[in-house]
Amino acid sequence: MRLSLVLSLCVPIPSSAQASTSRDLTQLDLEDLMNVQVTSVSKREQKVSTAGAAIYVITQEDIRRSGATNIPDLLRMVPGVNVARVDHSDWAVSIRGFNAVYANKVLVLVDGRSVYHPVFSGVLWYALDVPLENIERIEVIRGPGGTVWGANAMNGVINIITKSSKNTPGGLVTVGGGTAEQAEGLVQYGGKAGKSGSYRVFGKYSNLGTSDPVGFAPAADSRHANQGGFRSDWDLSPRDLVTVQGEYRRVEGGETTTGVLSRTPPIMGTFAQPIKDNGGNILGRWTRTFLNGSDISLQAYFDKSDVAAIGVHDWASIGNIDFQHHLRLGSRNDLVWGLGYRVAANRFGGTSLFALNPPERTDSLYSTFVQDEITLTKTLWLTLGVKLEHNAYTGYENEPSAQLVWAPTNRHTVWISAAKAIRQPSNIDTGLQATSLIVALPQGAFGLVRVFGNPNTKVEQLRDLETGYRAQINRRLSLDVAGFLSFYKHLQTTEPQTPFFALSPGPPHLVIPFIFDYKAHARSYGAEAFANWNVTNRWRISPGLTLLNLSASRDPSSQDATAQRLPGYSPKRSYQVRSFMNLGRHFEWDQTAGYTGRLAAGIPGYVRLDTRIGRRIGESWELSIAGQNLLTPRHAEFPNFQFIEHMLDQRSIFARITVRF
Amino acid sequence: MHFRLSLILLAAGALQLGAQGPAFDEYQVKAAFLYNFAKFVEWPPGTFANANDPIAICIVGQNPFGSTLEDMVQGKTIGDHAFSVRRLPDTQQASKCQILFIGAAESKRTRVLLEALKGAAILTVGEIDDFSAAGGIIGFRLEGTRVRLQIALETAERARLRISSKLLGLAEIVKRQQ
Repeated sequence: MRLSLVLSLCVPIPSSAQASTSRDLTQLDLEDLMNVQVTSVSKREQKVSTAGAAIYVITQEDIRRSGATNIPDLLRMVPGVNVARVDHSDWAVSIRGFNAVYANKVLVLVDGRSVYHPVFSGVLWYALDVPLENIERIEVIRGPGGTVWGANAMNGVINIITKSSKNTPGGLVTVGGGTAEQAEGLVQYGGKAGKSGSYRVFGKYSNLGTSDPVGFAPAADSRHANQGGFRSDWDLSPRDLVTVQGEYRRVEGGETTTGVLSRTPPIMGTFAQPIKDNGGNILGRWTRTFLNGSDISLQAYFDKSDVAAIGVHDWASIGNIDFQHHLRLGSRNDLVWGLGYRVAANRFGGTSLFALNPPERTDSLYSTFVQDEITLTKTLWLTLGVKLEHNAYTGYENEPSAQLVWAPTNRHTVWISAAKAIRQPSNIDTGLQATSLIVALPQGAFGLVRVFGNPNTKVEQLRDLETGYRAQINRRLSLDVAGFLSFYKHLQTTEPQTPFFALSPGPPHLVIPFIFDYKAHARSYGAEAFANWNVTNRWRISPGLTLLNLSASRDPSSQDATAQRLPGYSPKRSYQVRSFMNLGRHFEWDQTAGYTGRLAAGIPGYVRLDTRIGRRIGESWELSIAGQNLLTPRHAEFPNFQFIEHMLDQRSIFARITVRF
Repeated sequence: MHFRLSLILLAAGALQLGAQGPAFDEYQVKAAFLYNFAKFVEWPPGTFANANDPIAICIVGQNPFGSTLEDMVQGKTIGDHAFSVRRLPDTQQASKCQILFIGAAESKRTRVLLEALKGAAILTVGEIDDFSAAGGIIGFRLEGTRVRLQIALETAERARLRISSKLLGLAEIVKRQQ
């Protein structure tokens, strides 16, 4: 139910005069009127146009025409989002810097269900396999979203919203195959359930081959995934809507890691590591809408996963319940408040080389928030809000925000905002016990680098100032620009401790311990801009631009020399242009050309060119063929990260047939 | 060289695709439809207390027309009836409306509003996808760049509205669900 809250909060549209044309439409008769071409800002864009935040909406049309087969590839189109493929199973996806495999400062939700893994402190992107055809839209909010979405919505929120089953009646079959994504299939059927309900059920299969490795590392990142799911929506009465949905997945894949194989004898190696992931979730949501436009909703979900990756095994069960009340108070206040409770139980199957202490934990999170949008004048809105959360690691935390929106006409909007957001610690931050490196010492002796969590943990904090401008310049051109200035403190560092000799286990060795601490800070500023230009009625181009200047430093008491390298994992700039052409009635030709700047961590800048040709045959058939990375046979997008060895992203071709019946 | 060639191709494509008629803002066109509906719908006898009472077009909640609708119907008459445009927070004062528009911004409560208006002699016009199936009378739908109409004939009859065959002929007739 948190889904699209931002949108539902930001609806007022100023009622100033629209540009009128000389021809009086009332002179036309009905038939002529039906033939008039309209230029419409989509309903969604209209709502977005008065939001006091940097929002980008990926529509179903964008998804269909992207040629993408997975969600991270779709997110490449969003300015401010950096997407890097590490291998066929691992992605680094972040907003406004701090990119990493399991990037931990971005919250991703599917229909209001958080897919942020509590132990990996990030998203397992390979497991996020929502059939792209069922996505209604993806809202990406750049910048802090803590007031509404809570902890970890620090640098942004990615909100994936699936279609109501009311809108997916009938059968849908897609079959595809290609060079990287070797085979993919979706079978879906939907229909009516009784008088007031609807449903859909689907099964999905995908199979990826291995990537090209760097040097002699073995490539192990082939992946098979099976998924099944359903969604059912019921209008119990005109004012009561109930949704129940669920899915189950089995994924088998792999990745290449480098790490300590054994302490006794001391052996390090680069080897293939399997990934096995079985997981499922079920979600229910009830919304009651009142005549005056107020509404209440209650959402609960349960999510269970069993993940084996990077050599460890984790069983997680998450229960979550949220209540939300949105009410219009008088003519000026649009208020929403909510309560949330979340319980996450984890069991970690570690090894002597990688363990958590304690291996089992059950953590509760309580939260409440209130946000009020106040109509100050006909063209000025102020939104104030705060979230209070209690987490098991650091106790009470607050995340306030304020936004001021000025829309002098319905074609121009200017906004400014200030907010505070946090990243909440996870089990790894407090309980890690890992042996990450073996170092050779003189006379055949050796040392073990061990990294420990710190029970005395802190939340990472962001204070952020933003401003933006949106304009519908004319019927054909719209523009969106946002700029930000962000201050981070208490960022995690890894501090060396005094080395000591250990006699057991195994041969005597030196232990070189490190412990997590929170002694780094960072500052960033930057801008994102994009435009939509309908060059003709059949050709649209959409350029986008991302600029980021991130610098990190450590407190004087910190000895973590790696802290300053943090910004090196995100590009300082990237640009792209997307083009969508309708050739004749049935042909579509779409292209994306994009440049991503170099990473100081050791990846040169690269240019991607993707193209897609689509052909509709009648009402029910569609053929498409898409090529990705057409300019070069292969390139690297992200360096080796912690244990994970990066692979190269290949030039690839993918063809697909879609049938609806 | 290749780059220049592709530019030329793109430019040629643009020229070929460029030939299209003028386009209007979506809500200018929808406002013109609302005005036209008044010509092709007959309200039950007794709807107007006086023969020259205006036809009231009401907009519930958010108004996507700006001042377009007022400007458009200003000075227009149908028979002896002029027009008035009103904005309502909900349906409580809707009984005096002849045409009632529920915009896309009110999508969440559209069904609730329609339920409250059940049987009233009001031509409800809306924008959600299944408006006429959900108990509304005329639903606007966008098909590419053109506005299309869906009409729930039975719902209109139950509201004692007579819709002319000309309007019906241009619309898709749909059945109310439930």
